[in-house]
Amino acid sequence: MGPLSREAWAQRLGAFRASPSAFMAGADGEDLGRDLLSDLRSEKLSEQTKVSLLALSLEYPAQLWPDVPAAEAAATSLLDTMVLLPPRPSALRRPLLLAATTVLASGGVLGPTSGASCRLLPLLLGLASGRDVGRGFGPISEQRPLQATACECLRELESCKPGLLGGILGLLRSLLGQEGPIQPLSLLLALALRNTLVVQPRSGASLQGLLMAGVSSTGSGPWDWTLAEKGHSHLQPQAPCWPAAEEGACALAVLEPSPEEVRELRAAVAQLLDTSYLLTPVAQAQLLWLLGWALRGLQGQTPALFKPQLVRLLGTAQLTLLHAVLALKAAFGEALFTAQDEALLLRRLTLAAQHPALPLPTHLFYLHCLLSFPENCPLGPEGEEAAPLLLGPQLCRGLMPSLLHDPMVLLSRLHLLCLLCAEDEEEEKGQVQNPQWYLEELLAGLQQRAALDGGPRVLATLCFQASYLVASCLARQPMILTPLIQGLTQLYRARPVLAPHFVDLLDRVGPELEEPLRVVLQQEVVSRPGRDEALRWHLQMLAKVAERDAQSATLSFLQAAAAHCANWGLQQTLLRVCRVLLRGGGGPGLADLLQVLARQLEDPDGRDHARLYYILLAHLAGPKLGVALGPSLAAPALTSSLVAENQSFAAALIVQEAPAPIRLSVGPQKATGPLLVLQLQVEALEPVYSLELRFRVEGQLYAPLEAVHVPCLCPGRPAHPLFLPLQPRRPAPAQLEVRALYTTPTGITCHAHLPPLPVNFADLFLPFPQPPEGAQPGFFEGLWDSCLPKGAESRVWCPLGPQGLEALVSRHLEPFVMVAQPPTSYHIAIRLPPNSMLLLRLQAAQVDDGVPVALRTNDWAVLPLAGDYLRGLSVTE
Amino acid sequence: MAQRAVWLIRHEPGTPLCGTVRFSRRYPTVENRAKVFNGASYVPIPEDGPFLKALLFELRLLDDDKDFMECRDSCTHINKTSIYGLSIGNEELWPVVAFLKNGMVYASVPLVEQTLSPRPSLISISGISQGLELLFGIQDFLYSSQKNDTELNTKLSQLPNLLLQTCPFGTLLDTNLQNSVDNNNFASVSQPQKQPAWKAGTYKGKPQVSISITEKVKSMQYDKQDIADTWQVVGAVTCKCDLEGIMPNVTISLSLPTNGSPLQDILVHPCVTSLDSAILTSSSIDGVDDSAFSGPYKFPFSPPLESFSLCYYTSQVPVPPILGFYQMKEEEVQLKIKVNLKLHESVKNNFEFCEAHIPFYNRGPITQLEYKVSFGQLEVFREKSLLIWIIGQKFPKSMEISLSGTVTFGAKSHDKQPFDQICIGDTAYVKKKNVGSYHIAYSSELHFSILDYTLTGCYADQHSVQVFASGKPKISAHRKLVSSDYYIWNSKAPAPVTYGSLLP
Repeated sequence: MGPLSREAWAQRLGAFRASPSAFMAGADGEDLGRDLLSDLRSEKLSEQTKVSLLALSLEYPAQLWPDVPAAEAAATSLLDTMVLLPPRPSALRRPLLLAATTVLASGGVLGPTSGASCRLLPLLLGLASGRDVGRGFGPISEQRPLQATACECLRELESCKPGLLGGILGLLRSLLGQEGPIQPLSLLLALALRNTLVVQPRSGASLQGLLMAGVSSTGSGPWDWTLAEKGHSHLQPQAPCWPAAEEGACALAVLEPSPEEVRELRAAVAQLLDTSYLLTPVAQAQLLWLLGWALRGLQGQTPALFKPQLVRLLGTAQLTLLHAVLALKAAFGEALFTAQDEALLLRRLTLAAQHPALPLPTHLFYLHCLLSFPENCPLGPEGEEAAPLLLGPQLCRGLMPSLLHDPMVLLSRLHLLCLLCAEDEEEEKGQVQNPQWYLEELLAGLQQRAALDGGPRVLATLCFQASYLVASCLARQPMILTPLIQGLTQLYRARPVLAPHFVDLLDRVGPELEEPLRVVLQQEVVSRPGRDEALRWHLQMLAKVAERDAQSATLSFLQAAAAHCANWGLQQTLLRVCRVLLRGGGGPGLADLLQVLARQLEDPDGRDHARLYYILLAHLAGPKLGVALGPSLAAPALTSSLVAENQSFAAALIVQEAPAPIRLSVGPQKATGPLLVLQLQVEALEPVYSLELRFRVEGQLYAPLEAVHVPCLCPGRPAHPLFLPLQPRRPAPAQLEVRALYTTPTGITCHAHLPPLPVNFADLFLPFPQPPEGAQPGFFEGLWDSCLPKGAESRVWCPLGPQGLEALVSRHLEPFVMVAQPPTSYHIAIRLPPNSMLLLRLQAAQVDDGVPVALRTNDWAVLPLAGDYLRGLSVTE
Repeated sequence: MAQRAVWLIRHEPGTPLCGTVRFSRRYPTVENRAKVFNGASYVPIPEDGPFLKALLFELRLLDDDKDFMECRDSCTHINKTSIYGLSIGNEELWPVVAFLKNGMVYASVPLVEQTLSPRPSLISISGISQGLELLFGIQDFLYSSQKNDTELNTKLSQLPNLLLQTCPFGTLLDTNLQNSVDNNNFASVSQPQKQPAWKAGTYKGKPQVSISITEKVKSMQYDKQDIADTWQVVGAVTCKCDLEGIMPNVTISLSLPTNGSPLQDILVHPCVTSLDSAILTSSSIDGVDDSAFSGPYKFPFSPPLESFSLCYYTSQVPVPPILGFYQMKEEEVQLKIKVNLKLHESVKNNFEFCEAHIPFYNRGPITQLEYKVSFGQLEVFREKSLLIWIIGQKFPKSMEISLSGTVTFGAKSHDKQPFDQICIGDTAYVKKKNVGSYHIAYSSELHFSILDYTLTGCYADQHSVQVFASGKPKISAHRKLVSSDYYIWNSKAPAPVTYGSLLP
């Protein structure tokens, strides 16, 4: 594809900028980076277009060349493009340098192994030091701007890889002393110096050596990466020179440099500060931040070097400069600012925070600085906004809020006023001009403005924000809170439409304001006729402020309101109030009201809800009602209140699935008859109440099983065995599915699946009723004979354990022995409900390791089970 | 110190998005550092679309403030600075420096060189002030001598290149964007050593120094027993020095006549090299007494090439230039108004213009007006419910003039009432006069200007200007007094008061 035209590129760039992610995902996305690099060399495109291409690579290198090899290739290509430029003035050299730097630094390529880095760094250094870097870098007239640009590029690389320039500190110093462009070199040296001081303790390099290293050290030799390699680990979250953030985070090691090093360092810093007036104000500020940080970690270093600059700086209100002075104040405290200096700085700051000549964002920032002022001897807790000690009421006079202020100014000044009022608490009261009185007037004015019918919401919001601010700063001053509450009540009377704001305020403020405000607002609402336009707001308000123990006034208000709740929305709001009352347990009047609503409301949904609430009220005990109607934890924030309500019911009333709270096992059987009963052992893992165990058998082998009820189970307490009657339809072993239904101590009903319970063949055995004494042999024979011909007969070899036949019988078959001639012969008759039987003749053999068993049954299906059972007997011993 | 990204967003109320991104610039190298510094609390810079939406919402510049929205209107959502947190997706982008000026939202995201949780204090983030300065610089560039949208568009199209000069890697080098334009033009071949960075080149030509002092007078007048009227003078001294040499030194002295009001709260341009401590400490906080420093105020400096504000000051003059009262009473369907104005005898009675604006908020259009003026003419803007009393160039000999009349209003039509336009319109938060628009408190506002006059008496003596440069420069000095926020409140109803009005 040939180069695109100017228009095509403009269109493409426009599409990319509109949404880079969408563009890159599109068909055209992949080629953009490649096309851009190749078209930079196209002769058909104007320089202007190429600059716009470079602008894109300055902003979106990560999208254009997403991985390290691509970034490396792109940087190489950009450098090549620069070399290929004809030696006449060109607008492309600067942006090319910037782009190559950006691609290297942001692509994570910068390092000793990167070819592009190893080309760019010496090139930048050469340009920065004003050396002739060869043809292709334009005429002399362009050298000067390029020199500054190269310094900026080096500074950015140093920022991204601290320590990178550690080896050329000496060179930078000497350049600054010669004729280099003052600002870029100063900033570059200051940054490299600061980074070196951070990295140097680890590298062990001598600071003096670095500062003194002559020009010769970095001529054309390979780049020195040692400090940068150490430094890389250092680009990590760390606080700038600010004491509040110092502990823990500050990685700056305390240096103890040698006297020679100190001398060199002081000389370098002094050199930078002496010429700092030649820098633009913003650059001066950067220099001060950097040097402040650099010197901070140095033990025994007096920061007096900064002093000559301060008087000059204090006169201006240039934002960055004053901010930098504050940073120095924070960094050095008393060492740089005496008490008088501190007072002067505070005065200037107070002045700047209100000076009519400064713009509003500046005022606001200075006000913030005042409340976070780094005092020499702070009293309050760190990190909390507070008025500095020296900032008395006199100083603050000009910083009082007024209704004429912009909302942000008003709030920030109001905060200051509140802080002053809080301090002023003990002082004499009753003066007309005291701050409390003024605060009261101001709040009244705000309320009046918010009460303006049809006024913008921002005025209402402002009033409530101010109320919140006052309530949180002055919670313990009834002098302030009482009129505030009165004012807010009046505001509600004038504009019930602000109900959501009131609800929000009640949710946020502490009990000092919340409780009394809630009470007066409730009185305010229920004293209304309950049929005006504002009914919706009254109900919304009541849902928040209604007392849990339904007062008769509230109920009669609701009763009156019900007649006017014509639409679904209003009815729902009304019901929400009922719900709040329900949560508190309701009362007799509430039941009546709900019944009325269940009949009266026009909307069927409303009637249903009222009926549901009535049923809940009638059937659930207080605590359960509270849980059922309480705020649902499960409800996601975005769903409607209705969904939230349903979900909360779901949580509270619908049975919830839970992990098994008990362990169940089959206990030893006592085959006594006449009915088959399975004995179950139960062990509680957590407290459960009203436990109901439900059983089910696959395949209808048994008749449906009845549930077993246990009132209460607690872990650690012994539990009685449970008895489960079985009514087999066929004598076959089975698995019982078990489900547990129970209530947790919190009142929620849960159900759990327990592991299946096995019912073994032997669990189904019942003895025959004992015939009269002496008739047993005949009875047995009679049964034996009755089995054939319909039944089946078999012979089984039953292996014996060491105990012998007698032990085997007494252990497993004792209840079923009909005729016994111990220890050699036993006749055993087993009843298998419903209608089967199993008869065994055990006759000890000559050999000891087993016994032949003759067996008969009237049910051939039993035969394999019996065989397995007998063979398994010895194993289970 | 660096910025991660910068935006200019045109606020366009009434359009679906309520605004468009007119300019944006990201700094990927800074973004990389943010990723490392912020660690787990890092939130990436969003694309323009989501950013626009989130910012306009946070600044309340979307048209949908009908319903209460907790994330915007909650009483705990208190912003006391121009620094915001924007919720984008599930994350919060903080800190975002942003402000609205002349329908344009200026925004940037400064780099915070530490983790963001817990949030560091704003004062500890160097990028905040740098970000604000950058935005102020852009604003100055866009609105200096800009008249219409075409010019604005031209300037916007120059921005990418200018930022490439003044903020190539997100770290601001100069707030004066115009400087870098000039810098390119100068392209001086042999810039000598010690060329200040804030001076693009050297001036060649006839030396001249121009000094102009503009004083703005503000006032709040209540005509009430228990509320004191307030007024204040704010002065700005602007200089343009066309002098040869790299760093010519200039000293300008401002002087006061014998009974002049001392200058206070003096803020100087960073190019001023030293300041007398009396100038540094003279402050309105202390009030005025005879011992107050009353000049001459000396400002030694080395000027930049362009015109610049040498200093700002305030002053407390003993009387307001025009004292007035305004009485307004509602009588059935009409309003009765009476305005009285008196020029103080000490003030130069020679105006460039002088007029009183009498707006009626929250009412329908004016349907009927009967009035009597003792001087000047009255213009009626019926639809805007506004009266403008044009007083002209001079007060009559008596120095006192009055206006009285009755005004009747038509039905209030909701889309056109001044209340909406003023308080919700795009300038609502910027111009203080708009906030005065509340129901009960009506005011009239005076607009006037007097040439070659200052209320404090402050002047720059041409002979006291010292210039240490080759050639004798021509020195010119200008003075002007203008009104700004000069309100006279209706004395028949409560009015918003400032703390100053309540002091004895």
